[in-house]
Amino acid sequence: MSTVILQDLSKTYPGGTQALKRLSLCLRPGEVFGFLGPNGAGKTTTVKLLTGILAPSGGSCRILGVDPHTQPEKVHALCGIVTEHAQMYDHLTGMENLLFYACAFGMAREKGKARGERLLRELALTGAKDRKLAAYSTGMRQRLSLARALLHRPQVLFLDEPTSGLDPESAQNVNHMIRSLAREEGVTVFLCTHQLRYAQEICTRFGLMEQGSLLACGTLEELRAQTFSAQTLRICASSLPENLPFQRRGPQEYQAKIGAREEIPALVRKIVEAGADVYGVSLAEPTLEDIYFSLTAAAKEGSAL
Amino acid sequence: MKTAMYAIIKKDFRGVAANRRLFPALFLVPSLLALVLPSIFVIAVHFTPDDPDILKLLALVPQAAPGQSLELTLWGLLLNSILPAFFLVIPVMASSITAASAFVGEKERHTLETLLYCPLTLRQIFQAKVLASFLVSMVVSLLSFAAMFLVVEGEVFFLAGQALRPSVNWLAVLLLVSPAVSLIAVTLIVRGSAKAQSVEESQQAAVFLILPLLLLVVGQFAGLFLMSFWLLLGLGLLCGALAWILLRKSMGRFTYERLLQ
Repeated sequence: MSTVILQDLSKTYPGGTQALKRLSLCLRPGEVFGFLGPNGAGKTTTVKLLTGILAPSGGSCRILGVDPHTQPEKVHALCGIVTEHAQMYDHLTGMENLLFYACAFGMAREKGKARGERLLRELALTGAKDRKLAAYSTGMRQRLSLARALLHRPQVLFLDEPTSGLDPESAQNVNHMIRSLAREEGVTVFLCTHQLRYAQEICTRFGLMEQGSLLACGTLEELRAQTFSAQTLRICASSLPENLPFQRRGPQEYQAKIGAREEIPALVRKIVEAGADVYGVSLAEPTLEDIYFSLTAAAKEGSAL
Repeated sequence: MKTAMYAIIKKDFRGVAANRRLFPALFLVPSLLALVLPSIFVIAVHFTPDDPDILKLLALVPQAAPGQSLELTLWGLLLNSILPAFFLVIPVMASSITAASAFVGEKERHTLETLLYCPLTLRQIFQAKVLASFLVSMVVSLLSFAAMFLVVEGEVFFLAGQALRPSVNWLAVLLLVSPAVSLIAVTLIVRGSAKAQSVEESQQAAVFLILPLLLLVVGQFAGLFLMSFWLLLGLGLLCGALAWILLRKSMGRFTYERLLQ
């Protein structure tokens, strides 16, 4: 069953800017979906459409079967949303903010307090819970926003740059939390970011966007297969049999293009059987960055033609 | 959803109380209208000479009791005919400060988007915002009435040795007309706040709503018309109905997109 469904979703702003062009996607429970692209790619517009803040110009979307355009309040009850512009109240303390949002989500005060305290503990904010938000740093605000979004145990979590402004330790803590939410509680995470390395670390599936269009979608392996027909295998060995398709890169260093990692054992076996000593084998797999730049270059070439 | 709306009302109420700049401003105009001006009138009446022209004029006033002193008649007129009109202005002026920033204030502080992500319809958020400002206005209004009543009665008792009897007009004003007029004004100001781009713009628009009420006060002073209980009752019911319609219909055409623009 899909938790988030987008079908030909489009958005053109009143000024004529086409922010999203016929986007179609399906997200499953428990997946961390990385929605990637540079600023202006349409990531925030998509989140706003999925949360009912914007009305689509075309197509449709559903969150757990509910249309955010016609029933946004029902979608909000199912989702947790963290965006750059969704701030909290400076005149309230961290705990008071959480208590307010817990009540706004219809939770009983005691239940909201217990949940808030647990989230503050998990996000290392217990020490600052009675401090006014005005005294919070950017990273603390970001973590409190995450706590706010998780108060009502959402089934879908929309995160827009969740680790921006966080120190490495806090970022690691937040990443661990996101992963365990997806894995253990089956929460669908829709994570928008332009940090491709960060996304590769945390997401299970990816959607690569540029100028409102989806360039590609899939797991890292699927994207590699879609984008690159061959991968580079590097071997460090005393010598190589001449019938193998390797090129010499340096003393005892060789490289070859292979179609899939499954070809490696047979190649290594042949080298060893030929009497050579193998010191190292590495497969230079394309990173998400390589895939993204390859796709954008292909898209530019396509549009130029 | 009552819990959620109550949470917004409570949060807005706390926001007003915690704002050191806003809180004194809330009580400035009410203090002037409910304490300073009535005291000046009471003292001015005390020093008014027994002019036969004034006595002729008072004979035309229905409240004037035969055989009562000029001083007591004028004080009675002040308490029961002129001061009630102030209590149409006080709640509106008090609430205009909070109502004008209801939506646009949240927008300026970047908290509006977070509020819109709560599981409430726009109408429910709007109604919670209106009720918060309305409650502020009613609290200020009732506190002002209590203070005004104590001060005026105290001054009259000190100067004349007897207390004034408040007329039934006060019941109609405090319980019906003042809340209804205040609710209309607050609804319109909050609606304006949803459209405004800055708190200043919203506050400037709110001033135009207060002007007709100020004219009513001037009318009372000039003797253009005098408020009777039945007139007040009718006016209150009419305003109440209008307030209810406005509260129900005001956010009909608003969307999240428009609010966040």
